[in-house]
Amino acid sequence: MTSKHPQCLAIEADLVATAAGEATPEAADRVRAHVDGCRPCAEELGRYRAIEDVVGRIRTARRAEADEPRVRERLAARLADLRRRLMTYGVFPSPLGHILLARTEDGVSLVQYLGSGRDPRDCRLGRAMGPDAIEDDAALEAFYRELLAYLEGRRTHLEWPLDLRLARSEFHRDVLRVTAGIPYGAVRSYAGIACDIGKPTAARAVAQALRWNPLPIVVPCHRVVGSSGALVGYAGDKLGLKAQLLAVEGVSTAPGTRVPRDAMYVTLPGENFYCLPSCAWIPTAEQPQRLVFFGSRGRAEAAGLVPCGDCRPDLHPLAS
Amino acid sequence: MEPFETLVTVHHPEIHRYLVRMTRRAAEAEDLSQETFLRAYRAYRSLPDDANVRAWLFAIATNLFRNHVRSERRRVTAHAEVRARGHETDGQGPEGEMLFNETRGLIEETVAGLPFKQRTAFVLRKIHDLEYEMIGRSLDCTAESARAHVFHALKKIRHSLNGHELPVTEVTR
Repeated sequence: MTSKHPQCLAIEADLVATAAGEATPEAADRVRAHVDGCRPCAEELGRYRAIEDVVGRIRTARRAEADEPRVRERLAARLADLRRRLMTYGVFPSPLGHILLARTEDGVSLVQYLGSGRDPRDCRLGRAMGPDAIEDDAALEAFYRELLAYLEGRRTHLEWPLDLRLARSEFHRDVLRVTAGIPYGAVRSYAGIACDIGKPTAARAVAQALRWNPLPIVVPCHRVVGSSGALVGYAGDKLGLKAQLLAVEGVSTAPGTRVPRDAMYVTLPGENFYCLPSCAWIPTAEQPQRLVFFGSRGRAEAAGLVPCGDCRPDLHPLAS
Repeated sequence: MEPFETLVTVHHPEIHRYLVRMTRRAAEAEDLSQETFLRAYRAYRSLPDDANVRAWLFAIATNLFRNHVRSERRRVTAHAEVRARGHETDGQGPEGEMLFNETRGLIEETVAGLPFKQRTAFVLRKIHDLEYEMIGRSLDCTAESARAHVFHALKKIRHSLNGHELPVTEVTR
């Protein structure tokens, strides 16, 4: 390579910019003045322009994209798959500590108590969202507002589309579906749920399924208690939360963390009336473990039930 | 914010072309362009409304390509390069076309051999017409550095064409 005159070296950047049509007017003037008196640089400018021209033609040349539609099709399939898998989540403050809410295209898929922390990966089901989960509070905001109203007793129903994909088995999903049907302000036993899904001896398995409930509160596993009325367990070791949630719904718990079944109104799933616990038919009920207990007449009637014509709980209400 | 499908329709062909050019292998270009859009989908909702979506997609594609090059380099293969399918055509006459194709071949070879930043900056600027500032965002450098990369790329291309006849330009001095 021959060595260049310092002036030619100094003008090189402007010369390249001029060839590309990117030079400032001043730079273009400098180049013009220089190449008028410098033949090698004039040729150089011509070569750079020729390069720009070839590159410009490469840019505008039509590429035969025979593969593009097929590539696009495969991309669309992968995007659809990602969409189906993807969870969007938000972490929100609540009277019960931070709560993680997540959803998929199909519905709400996860509600978890995070306590004082905010990291969803700190809870096992939070990790189950997978590495692709996207944090997007705005996408969950509406659900959060309803949940908050619910926790503050201003709302008695959460009519959310649910996605039970994080349940561990079809049995777990069955348990969750039956549990979702327990009315606001009522409690049932684990054994009752087991009866309802046709596995009357599976009370312990029901308790396990609810222990792994990915949607506590909205699938109200807090409304499921032991046959004796004992609260038994909740979300690991959060028995206090269970009592708190029941209290919001008007079900009081005795100091021994027990629901006072003997001081609650009673019905059976499928019946349209509710009774006093002393009603004559109750001891003769075929599957007593299926009984449903209400903390108040108001809640029973809100669930669509009418007072029993025999024991007349409307005339002889329980002492509250 | 427009639906993600629109963004795919509008930008996928170009991003795919970009990656075909950079990888020079159809299968890799497809993998990387898919990954570009899958990543984009995950991040799309958190993108500000006034973001330059096109530049953003180029930045994702560039990053993926860079990582890809790094992992490729680690693999140390000595296989012959298989060119990506797809030819570009130009409406020049046979002789002009021959000279154009020859020059073009030389330029593409030189570009393929450029250091990563020079090559990327050159392709983004000259083939995809991105602003220097956007190129800087893709390469994590200033607009001025991006401009310098393109300048150095052009100088190298120019030198690689020493002694080679160039097609007559349509631009007159």
